[in-house]
Amino acid sequence: MRLLRPIIAIGICLSLTLGASAQALDSSDSSEYLIKAGFIYNFAKLVGWPQGAFAQPDSPIVIGILGTDPFGGIIDRILADKQIDARHFVIKRLKWGMDLKGCDILFIGSSEASHLEEVIRSLKGLPILTIGETPGFARRGCIINLIVEDNKVRFEVNLDAAKQADLNISSRLLALARIIPQPTADAR
Amino acid sequence: MSSIRKNNVTLMASAGRILLAGVLAVCPVANASAAGPGNPQNVLDPTQLSLEDLMNLQVTSVSKRPQKVADSAAAVFVITQEDIRRSGAASIPEALRMVPGVEVARIDENKWAIGSRGFNGRFDNKLLVLIDGRSVYTPLFSGVYWNVQDVLLEDVDRIEVIRGPGATLWGANAVDGVINIITKSAKNTQGGLVTAEAGSEERTAESVRYGGKVKDNTYYRVYGKYFDWYPSIDATGATASDGWHALRGGFRVDSNLTTTNSFTIQGDIYHDNFGETLTVPSLTSPTFASTYPNNGYNSGGNLLGRWNHSFSRSSTSLQMYYDRTNIADPTVFSDHESVYDIDFQHDIHLGESQELVWGFGYRSIQDTNGSSFTVALLPAHSSLNQYSAFLQDEVSLLDNRMHITVGSKFEHNPFTGFEFEPNVRVLGTLTKEQSVWAAVSRAVRTPALTEEGLQLNEGVIPPGAPPLNSPLPVVEAVFGSPLFGSEDLLAYEVGYRVQATSSFSLDLAAFYNNYTNLRSAEPGAPILAGNPVPSYVVLPFVASNKMSGGTYGIEPFAEWKVLPRWKLSGSYSFLRMNIHKNADSLDPTPDIPNGLSPRHQFYFRSSLDLPKHLEQDLMVRYVDKLPGLDIPSYYSLDLHIGWKPISQLQLSFGGQDLLNSKHLEFIPEFINTLPTQVRRTVYGGISWTF
Repeated sequence: MRLLRPIIAIGICLSLTLGASAQALDSSDSSEYLIKAGFIYNFAKLVGWPQGAFAQPDSPIVIGILGTDPFGGIIDRILADKQIDARHFVIKRLKWGMDLKGCDILFIGSSEASHLEEVIRSLKGLPILTIGETPGFARRGCIINLIVEDNKVRFEVNLDAAKQADLNISSRLLALARIIPQPTADAR
Repeated sequence: MSSIRKNNVTLMASAGRILLAGVLAVCPVANASAAGPGNPQNVLDPTQLSLEDLMNLQVTSVSKRPQKVADSAAAVFVITQEDIRRSGAASIPEALRMVPGVEVARIDENKWAIGSRGFNGRFDNKLLVLIDGRSVYTPLFSGVYWNVQDVLLEDVDRIEVIRGPGATLWGANAVDGVINIITKSAKNTQGGLVTAEAGSEERTAESVRYGGKVKDNTYYRVYGKYFDWYPSIDATGATASDGWHALRGGFRVDSNLTTTNSFTIQGDIYHDNFGETLTVPSLTSPTFASTYPNNGYNSGGNLLGRWNHSFSRSSTSLQMYYDRTNIADPTVFSDHESVYDIDFQHDIHLGESQELVWGFGYRSIQDTNGSSFTVALLPAHSSLNQYSAFLQDEVSLLDNRMHITVGSKFEHNPFTGFEFEPNVRVLGTLTKEQSVWAAVSRAVRTPALTEEGLQLNEGVIPPGAPPLNSPLPVVEAVFGSPLFGSEDLLAYEVGYRVQATSSFSLDLAAFYNNYTNLRSAEPGAPILAGNPVPSYVVLPFVASNKMSGGTYGIEPFAEWKVLPRWKLSGSYSFLRMNIHKNADSLDPTPDIPNGLSPRHQFYFRSSLDLPKHLEQDLMVRYVDKLPGLDIPSYYSLDLHIGWKPISQLQLSFGGQDLLNSKHLEFIPEFINTLPTQVRRTVYGGISWTF
């Protein structure tokens, strides 16, 4: 008897929530990293890498995730069977100090904030699209920086950094971006 | 017995009605907005969406939970801002009820017993609590004044709770857990916020916050809050004297002066008035005790500054704070504490796979107290100096799949001298989705002021009462002792985490703790007391270190995102305590199986996002009986509904403890404060941002 009441209570709660949720489904809301994974896929489509950045026409696009990984398994699942032209995606988890040069896209986690300049410097001149999600990263030399404002994802682009990486960013992408001015002297 | 059951069934039914009303109220909205039969399996594929579409999506979980938790070799649980809002918790203690392995029991409206992995009590001394890096663990009794540990809950970024020892980083007293309450940067609290709340238990609560920008990269906020709680009811159902009201205010300034330097300066000030019913011993016949409503207050304030500087491969942090706490319980005890603290920390990345952290700290504590017949603490003024240093190294091996952390804290305190608290932690990544960890650590709980110099008169045995048959009244008293030493813990922990599918995760932690030198109360030689002629006998029980034993437990926590907008989570906590007196102990109190902590606890929580910016949360919680206190087990059901009709306005309403009209959760130790009942409550609130 003592156990029955709570079980009934849980049952009622469950059935009510189930009932309500079956009615409630629509996909206008979603988790932050699902959306951010979608952004990264779109960036891969809208950024042009220089000739020679890929060895073969079907060489994969290598996405490195540097530092603490906020995606969990989301990005792997989302990009598992996707391809752009003939290129599949390969996702790598990386830690500061490891070789970053094999990436085409490098997602730099917030955990790397203290040595971002050094990460950026180590990639100098390489055609790697750096993507951050931490306030100030674009100003500090990251090419694209995702920001969440009013529960929506926005992004900043540092054109100077893109030019140095020899990446061609489509005008469609730029039209939606917030352009970050050239880095000032104190950022060096 | 049967009337109680009948009563509960009716209550159950009424709880059901409340629930039903809540859900029905939102259903028509749901029907209206669903554009046809939804497919529950249809999880969003963001690659099918354009950038424009993605930019229009609402982010529902800005939570950072997956980050640090997933790669720490410790039992960590994070309460996010969203968790706090959706739980309807009105205070930090109430929010802690959702943490696996943590016990929260309310004593009366303004007092709680909170513990982690056992040893729960109003004066639990094995849990360290920090607010923005400031320790709020009082050196007076090695515990926490929970009624004054408060911030604007809307400004909390997250509460990180580590079960098990955290002594290597946080030092002595982080024995069974560390609670880190972390508020948002001022940059993230820009603009204004006004909130108002009222309920059947909380008479009123209002808060105001405003955040602005001083110049580029320098932000501030100021806040004030006031609340007033009705008194609850005692065991007989009569109105108790435990109402309380409090006024608090504070500020925070955050500045990124340059890309490598950031500063935080923050401070708070508060004043609480609280009531309680006290029973204190007295030498007056015939009762030899007096019971009366007692009104006291707590006040205080703090000021903290922190400077972070980053170099290319390392970063430093320098933090200083001052914290003042005043307790005035005029008929029993008053105390004024000032704490000055300075801490330095340096994180260094060494080569590819090593991260070294070291630091040192100094803390100065000044205490002045006023005594009564019930509680006396000697000396009346004391000054303590504590020094500490720590070193910890994390090494990554096997292509980053294994992380080993080795480190120790070294401390010096005036009571027991030098202490060290080493640990070894190993984290292994089995697959992308699975990791295991294990740790062995030592922690110590250093003596509190009261354990060195207290005399607490607990009760009086009337003259002539058997078995003593003393001609004079006998006062049973708890004494501190300068010989009292540190309590020691050697803890063994293991854990396993799995992200089984993209929507289901499980976090499992298990531990075995071996304690030695725990506090006992050894009888001493009776003392004749009274002035000018001896009029009573004091029977002392002196703090000593003659208890030991083991505890073990397991704490699974699971989260299942059934649908993108519907999340279920649940946790179970099992705790077994086997603490006993040593063979040479003469402590007459019987060993209590499982102490004052529940053996089983579990909860189940459903968080649902409905269209039209409605959210609904349900939580069912079970807490096992406390045989040592004769407190029965209980279930509770909390419901919360939030609605954000426009982006500036948030409405909320809900109910707590809907299954029981009232229940007792705890009976406090040492000080005889009357415990009161936790009642079924309803509340409503509004918050406006501008």
